[in-house]
Amino acid sequence: MTYAATLDHVTKRFGDHTAVHDLSLRIPAGSIYGFIGPNGAGKTTTIRMLMSIFYPDAGQIRVLGHDRPEVVKDRLGYLPEEKGLYKSMRVQEIVAYFGKLKGMSTREANERARDLLVRYGLGDWLQVKCQALSKGMGQKVQLLGTIIHNPELVILDEPFSGLDPVNMELMRSTILDMKREGRTVIFSTHVMKQAEEICDFVFMIHRSKKVFDGPIQQIKQSAGGGIHLAYDGSATEVFGELTREGLATRINDAGKEAEIHPAEGVDPQAILARLVGRVTVRTFDLREVSLHEIFVRKVRELSGEVLEETPR
Amino acid sequence: MSKTLIVAQREFVENLRTKTFWIGILSLPLILAASIAIGRFLEKSKDVRTYAVVDLSENDWLSRSIETRAAQTDLGSMLRGAGEGGGEAPDVKAWLEGLPEDHPIRDLMARIREAAPDFDPAALGGEDGDRPRLPPSVQGAVLRWALEVQRDPERAKVLQNLASSIALARYRRIDLDALGVSEEQPIDEVRASLNRAIADEKLFAYFILPGDPLADGAGEYVSNNLTDGDLRSWFERHATSVVRARRIEAMPGVTQADADLLLASFPFREQRVSSTGETETVDTKEKAAGFAPVAFVYLLWIAVFTAAQMLLTNTVEEKSNRLIEVLLSSVSPLQLMAGKVLGIAATGLTIVGAWVATALIGAQLVPDSGKLGQLDLAGIIGDPVYLTSFVGYFLAGYLLYAAILVALGSVCNSLKEAQNLMQPVFILLIVPLFAMLFVVQDPNGTVARILTYIPLYTPFLMMNRAGGPPPAWEYFASSALILVSLVIAFWAAAKVFRVGILMTGKPPRVREILRWIRAPVTSDAAVDPARRSD
Repeated sequence: MTYAATLDHVTKRFGDHTAVHDLSLRIPAGSIYGFIGPNGAGKTTTIRMLMSIFYPDAGQIRVLGHDRPEVVKDRLGYLPEEKGLYKSMRVQEIVAYFGKLKGMSTREANERARDLLVRYGLGDWLQVKCQALSKGMGQKVQLLGTIIHNPELVILDEPFSGLDPVNMELMRSTILDMKREGRTVIFSTHVMKQAEEICDFVFMIHRSKKVFDGPIQQIKQSAGGGIHLAYDGSATEVFGELTREGLATRINDAGKEAEIHPAEGVDPQAILARLVGRVTVRTFDLREVSLHEIFVRKVRELSGEVLEETPR
Repeated sequence: MSKTLIVAQREFVENLRTKTFWIGILSLPLILAASIAIGRFLEKSKDVRTYAVVDLSENDWLSRSIETRAAQTDLGSMLRGAGEGGGEAPDVKAWLEGLPEDHPIRDLMARIREAAPDFDPAALGGEDGDRPRLPPSVQGAVLRWALEVQRDPERAKVLQNLASSIALARYRRIDLDALGVSEEQPIDEVRASLNRAIADEKLFAYFILPGDPLADGAGEYVSNNLTDGDLRSWFERHATSVVRARRIEAMPGVTQADADLLLASFPFREQRVSSTGETETVDTKEKAAGFAPVAFVYLLWIAVFTAAQMLLTNTVEEKSNRLIEVLLSSVSPLQLMAGKVLGIAATGLTIVGAWVATALIGAQLVPDSGKLGQLDLAGIIGDPVYLTSFVGYFLAGYLLYAAILVALGSVCNSLKEAQNLMQPVFILLIVPLFAMLFVVQDPNGTVARILTYIPLYTPFLMMNRAGGPPPAWEYFASSALILVSLVIAFWAAAKVFRVGILMTGKPPRVREILRWIRAPVTSDAAVDPARRSD
């Protein structure tokens, strides 16, 4: 298998704080690779090292077959979490500018910028100043600026945060398109569900350390199953009873849906029997556990500590 | 095209679209045009002071002598002006012959020739002290001519082009008859009528000269405006000279020649050592030109700060707009910084270039004002030495401050923060503006020398001293100093920039910045630049 990027025992420190600790990763070419983990876990630092914005203090990074990632900058596309546009530049101009910075000729960049903008429904906005764009349109323009030069490896840092449903869908389909075209896509998210939906591989990081990585199917299969429940009504009480009485090891309650993990040897039917009458059960089925559950288990396994969603 | 140049090109094009750029380009032509226009307007609207004289002396001898003397002084300065156009030994005769047919001076010469055919008109010129006593017939001609010129603004204007300060064009005597007053009337009645004329603003002031001025030591000056004493002191100066001369002549055994000798002033002629080591005379034009560097320093200061400010604003804007990370995915921090500095250098040079072009074009357009008496504006602003050093020192000054401000901008998250950090820098920067006038008066003095070797001030001071000019070794030393400071400044700026540019949150302390500068380039581990954004 060829790898778009590899990290070997990479460590990055900022003063006393270790942002990434002894991280090794293999990112297969042509895959969609998710970096998941809570805020502040070290995702962005890892991504910035791949983009040669930071350099590791220890370890080795190879990107597109090069030891020095800055050599291949022009073949990478990067959409940071914090992103903006020059307010006074025109839409086509700024997309073309990003292309020129990636080594495209002025003409090529202008033409490709126009094509992309037309294809993505911004044909009427080519000569409009960026300050006049709505937030959604601005995000679209930023994405187009990231992919104008047909990068082989696209790195998106929290691409879904702050998107409305329409743009969320657009982002999803763009990522899938890129995979179809043979590009490698790395994206980071702290929302596990998004990763679950489109990733081939995931890497999970918590408190600067890798929790696990690998093909998503494999990870999920090895984790066994759980009960997925959709319900109406108030379930706090009955869920409390289930855990107190030892029928369930843990219940991840989302309000209308919940993931129930039966204790060893407990028949799921017994749990269903307890639920009926207390809440209105809409669906009740056994399926693979969610990434979230896997993450929670792994973190507990590693350190016995309680999972915190807040950074540091 | 290299990435640095792509960044520079974008910066330049973007700046062309800003108002600051166009205000910068147009400011100098506008200021020049406005100052010329205002100067003309002031000159035109300057009130001619009208005065009347009640002369109680016998046959009005005192007022006649005063007016004659005043006219002769004016003639003297006009002819001296003619001399300055003609080099070392003014050839007044040739100059007189070169005047147009209808020139008022020609008219005067014709009258003098008629009154005294043997009189040499060149004798009218000369310094105050060695002015010859004119024969009475010539005196009469000069006096009549002067009074006529006073009443004719057109002719006075033509004469003013020869010497701007002549009294002929500034003061106008009004006959008592014209005010409905007769000298035959009792003095109280005369006073009453003249007071009324002043109240009605028909008259600015009047003088009363006593019947026996040689004994009676004072005249009277009546006006409603005693703050403007020009008219009084001008009249008084001439009256004093005339009365003194008469008093001396009245002493027994004193000849006219003795009187002239006693009254002669003792002037010093100004000269300086030329570049070839000889003494040479300096005319008023050259003296005025010595102050020209002040204007250039001022423009230099404005240009350097406009450009450096642009860079600061621009850097902070990129940071606050969250553009930095996108850019850093394509270019290195060093390329980004270099591109920005270059792009704005190009913008600044365009502005400065436009100014130089304005100066050159203006030098052609400013009317050549007879090359007499007037300041040679065209010659000063079009001086190639000043213009080239102006462009050179602009570049040096801009780059030095660019290094400081780009580093400063890289650690700030908002314009407000940047302005706070700018303040101490700004206070340092005012110094060359304050020192400007002292330095131009003593371009090679101690203060000028000391300030020259403070790198932040070197470009301004060297421009300031251009009139001196400083010795060649100082040019070499200061240029070397500038180059060394630029290298150090950019070395430090690059180190601060690469860490600061990704930093969010509170701006770092000076101590922290110093640590970044000391840290080796391979490590960006000094601080977590993204502590809040991860």
